[in-house]
Amino acid sequence: MVSDSINTAPIPSAANAKNLGKKKRTNRSAKLKQCKFDARREQWLSQGAVKNKGCKDGHELDDVQTPPTPEGKDIKRSLEKLEMRTRGEENEGSIQQDSDLESPSNSPTSFNSSVLGGNDSGTNFTGSSSSSSGSAGCWSGNITEEEEGDEGCLDDWEAVADALAADDKHQNQGSESPPAPETVIQMVSPCEITNGSNLGMRDSKPESSRSVPRASGNCRAWRPDDAYRPQSLPNLSKQLCLSNPDRHYGGGMRWACTAVPSSCPICYEDLDVTDSSFLPCLCGFRLCLFCHKRILEEDGRCPGCRKAYECEPIETEASVYGGSLTFRLARSCSMIERS
Amino acid sequence: MQASRARLFKEYKEVQREKAVDPDIQLVCDDSNIFKWTALIKGPSETPYEGGVFQLAFAVPEQYPLQPPQVRFLTKIFHPNVHFKTGEICLDILKNAWSPAWTLQSVCRAIIALMAHPEPDSPLNCDSGNLLRSGDVRGFQSMARMYTRLAAMPKKG
Repeated sequence: MVSDSINTAPIPSAANAKNLGKKKRTNRSAKLKQCKFDARREQWLSQGAVKNKGCKDGHELDDVQTPPTPEGKDIKRSLEKLEMRTRGEENEGSIQQDSDLESPSNSPTSFNSSVLGGNDSGTNFTGSSSSSSGSAGCWSGNITEEEEGDEGCLDDWEAVADALAADDKHQNQGSESPPAPETVIQMVSPCEITNGSNLGMRDSKPESSRSVPRASGNCRAWRPDDAYRPQSLPNLSKQLCLSNPDRHYGGGMRWACTAVPSSCPICYEDLDVTDSSFLPCLCGFRLCLFCHKRILEEDGRCPGCRKAYECEPIETEASVYGGSLTFRLARSCSMIERS
Repeated sequence: MQASRARLFKEYKEVQREKAVDPDIQLVCDDSNIFKWTALIKGPSETPYEGGVFQLAFAVPEQYPLQPPQVRFLTKIFHPNVHFKTGEICLDILKNAWSPAWTLQSVCRAIIALMAHPEPDSPLNCDSGNLLRSGDVRGFQSMARMYTRLAAMPKKG
């Protein structure tokens, strides 16, 4: 009965195939494959029958257990935050430093938040590994005036990098990010870190020695997150609904940052630096430039929110400027030629 | 062309890696053609499809992540949004609401969700849709259960 009902479905194609004797063979192999699937199904069914009788309550348990995980994570995070805050109050210098760095590493786009965000980014403190590596970047940014300090901090930087690299693949993403924050901070530093730089200077050496164990400690705290991450990566909806509510306290950006650098969710290729700083849609869904272009050529909707990409990304503006520049240049060239 | 192949290959690896993550879905790629996939999904619990295992056939287009895969049921199923003869599925994410961020795995999940929550207002199977729309939930459930038993369960059952 089962096989009958299944075989009726492919019949239209089978009718075609009969004309060509050659295809008969493929048809047979298809049947063979079908048999395999049937066998597997049957096997699964028998397993399922036993399971359904035995483990029904087990299923329910699963259902109960799975939903709280995101909340539990949040709680854990907020606990961490509390801890961090208290620790931060003990020495204000360090937290200020971290806060300076935290926001750029969160996102290059939320530039002004780094100016505003002393206490705001203090709450972001859970940004663990990336923040510590980012702070290393900042020291180098600050200390460029004094060369001795520069070398010292490079050593520290390497120590931090080692600590990070030793741990996990994810940390590679974290250590990838520093180049971007570094440049941002160097731009910011004149106006913002003027008072922080002295503090940071004084703190940097004792702080750095402390920051290495702290980084690894945070990595350990990350472990539970890591366990969830692979699941959330392929699942778009999870990623989105996690990133949006989280953004209130900035954790969302960190999520987006850590979730993105691994790979483009469309083509699964690794994102390079340009890609990971590319934010084409307000919903926060990131993808690589190639896929973005391909989507613009087809239907032009963001894969995250399915709304049309309306505001053109910054990149195109730049190209417009470039266009006008070249235009001007061309004109001046022609002028020269004339004269 | 290349992009779809690369992406399907990555998805294949992902499926191999996370086999145990979703016990209700078995996603298998054709040995010779990466654009043909077959999935076995378990009927969701507390529905008339519970206890059944349903086979899905995926035909993935060349423009895949940008175009949705074509999916149909190979196992007979009595469901308002599934064509009774061809197995065609009426599901928005397989048509206009498709997003390239979806994967074959997430399509399977969406189909399981559709099995649990039929949309009788856009029916492909009018008999089934009419039963639900007229409020005869019991009639619908008994029909669906019968076909699950006939087509998606072991013969002896």
